[in-house]
Amino acid sequence: MLEFSLDQDKRRCQLSTEELNRETSDSMAIQTFGLSRSFGPVVAVGDLNLDIPRGELFALLGPNGSGKSTTINMLCCLLKPTRGTARIMGFDINRQPNSVKALTGVSPQETTLSEHLSPLENLELIASLSNVSRTRARQWSAGLVEIMGLGDRARDQVRKFSGGMKRRLSIAMALISDPAIVFLDEPTLGLDPQARRALWEYIASFKGDKTILLTTHYMEEADFLADRIGIIDAGKIAALGTSLDLKTQAVDTHTMVINAWNLTIRALDSIRVKFENVKINGGCISITGRQLDFKETVDYIHSTGAVIRSAYFKEPSLEEAYLKITGKELRG
Amino acid sequence: MKFLSLTLRNFKETCRDPLALGFLIAFPLLFMLLFGAALGGSSSPSYAVGIVDEDNTQVSSQFVNEVLVQIPLLDIAVFESEAEALDDLKQGNIRSALVIPAGFGDEVTKSWQRLDPNIILNITYDESDLTVSSQIISALNSAIRNYAQVQIPVTINTSHINVEIEVSQIDFIAPGIIIFGLLIMVPTSARIMVRDKETGFMSRMLTTPTYPWEFISGYSVSLLVIAVVQIVIFILLGVAFGMNIVGNIWLAFLIFLLTAICSIGIGMVVASLSKSENQAEPLCWLIAMPLAVLSGVWFSREIMPEYIQVLGDIFPYANAVSAARVVIIRGADFSAVSGPVLFLSCWAAGAFILGIALFRRRMRG
Repeated sequence: MLEFSLDQDKRRCQLSTEELNRETSDSMAIQTFGLSRSFGPVVAVGDLNLDIPRGELFALLGPNGSGKSTTINMLCCLLKPTRGTARIMGFDINRQPNSVKALTGVSPQETTLSEHLSPLENLELIASLSNVSRTRARQWSAGLVEIMGLGDRARDQVRKFSGGMKRRLSIAMALISDPAIVFLDEPTLGLDPQARRALWEYIASFKGDKTILLTTHYMEEADFLADRIGIIDAGKIAALGTSLDLKTQAVDTHTMVINAWNLTIRALDSIRVKFENVKINGGCISITGRQLDFKETVDYIHSTGAVIRSAYFKEPSLEEAYLKITGKELRG
Repeated sequence: MKFLSLTLRNFKETCRDPLALGFLIAFPLLFMLLFGAALGGSSSPSYAVGIVDEDNTQVSSQFVNEVLVQIPLLDIAVFESEAEALDDLKQGNIRSALVIPAGFGDEVTKSWQRLDPNIILNITYDESDLTVSSQIISALNSAIRNYAQVQIPVTINTSHINVEIEVSQIDFIAPGIIIFGLLIMVPTSARIMVRDKETGFMSRMLTTPTYPWEFISGYSVSLLVIAVVQIVIFILLGVAFGMNIVGNIWLAFLIFLLTAICSIGIGMVVASLSKSENQAEPLCWLIAMPLAVLSGVWFSREIMPEYIQVLGDIFPYANAVSAARVVIIRGADFSAVSGPVLFLSCWAAGAFILGIALFRRRMRG
């Protein structure tokens, strides 16, 4: 056992010069330095180097089993890294776990609540464990249940709650200690679209005040909420940037969608010859190319005798960017 | 005080969960009720006991004819010689043979005169049924104590037993059943923590700056409250079924409480080692069931081979059962059970230290 832990320490010390040279910055809420975790031969997270500035909402986007939860678990000191480390508001996760825990609030992937307690009791318990005084805990709990829309059920046992209510309470529990950093591990997993939408609004409402690290495998969630997105796959960051960055970086082709009438077979044939990648569905023509010129394309189609009703460039979706980056189908 | 918040939470969580509470209270209660009904009922047993009066004084014959014949438990048969009585014992006609040795009358008279007596009764008993034999011995001891008006234990074949006259099987079996009820706290204690691990609530609590001892004490104190309730119910039920507590009830309570703390401690160790209920459950029963047998909960340990007895001695429960029995049946005082009390305390402390250490190790995977 001792040998094993020495070995771990040694590996922790074997950080690359580049990793070591990265200075701890005061403006950074979360910094990881070659953060890695293996389970036996399986590398869940490998050499993660991330800088998340204070006040940012950062989304880790990736399929199931990509290392999102492992990363969060290491950052909130539930799991020891096998190599590397991270600093949370300057505190080292390996050496100062209690300081880290005092600054963070976590909403785990499973909606873990004390089922026979009421929302208020759940909140007050976590507040007490997070060193919040009893009076403040009571005040904040009462405030949070109202904000989260649980006011009328504040004294009912939570086991009778719906999935959406439980998720909202789970997020409230991550916020109850007024932490500087909030980890939300798949906050909307398994919720219906309405409940998900409502939860996004809640998360968006405290965006900016706190640094939020959110994991998800829902593209639209990352797109809607995140300031920056890290696409994680097989334990590595495959791409990093704003939603727009990722879309423009990853997708170098453009798609034009033209709705037209009076498309003759000859017209369609000539369009297929003129452009490389053409999809025709009724009166809807999708043309994908690297250097499409809007006017030129419209003019050409017009010249075939077709009457154009509408034409626009389709914005690439985050999903397209994701598929392009990871080169595989989503598993999530 | 975080551990108080945790205690309160665990207590509420258990009390509001009918299944958990049911298992904690109802399961051992059911055993108690079953055994109480089976053993403590109104039909008081009566056992044949052979008497050989070698003293042949007025004192000894008064003891036999006026005291012993009054005891409902005993069905007295007088024999001329020890050999005859032993013969009948071998035949199974009597359960025990009591020889009142010469000099008995003098010693009892001494006792009446407040002089230091050395009263000896020789009993040969049927080894095949120790529960019955021990009741007979207890009844005889109690009878002689009352008769001779001695406060000190009387020598009975080197055994010192002192039971109320209205002895019933429940006197002997009840302390064992109570200890068994407290032994069942091993799985129930473990379950409460493991359930939090399984649901992930433990992980959530572990993301707060809370120390392992606070978690362990949070679980344990809430369980201890339940244990106190259990013990009170058990003692009341025992009394309702006819158990007589000869010794100090608080001393008996202390022994039960220490036993409960040991069980909770062992439960915490198992829970710290296990990741899920599926892991914890078999492990608990693997610990609890052999311990119940080894500890003489159901039947007297004297009938077991010596190495099994030694094995039982290593664990807290055998000590707890015998200590509880000497207090409840014989009225032993603190000094007589200080050894087992210390042993139980050490066990409890050891289990908690190990539990906290294991919890700390497992805290970060």
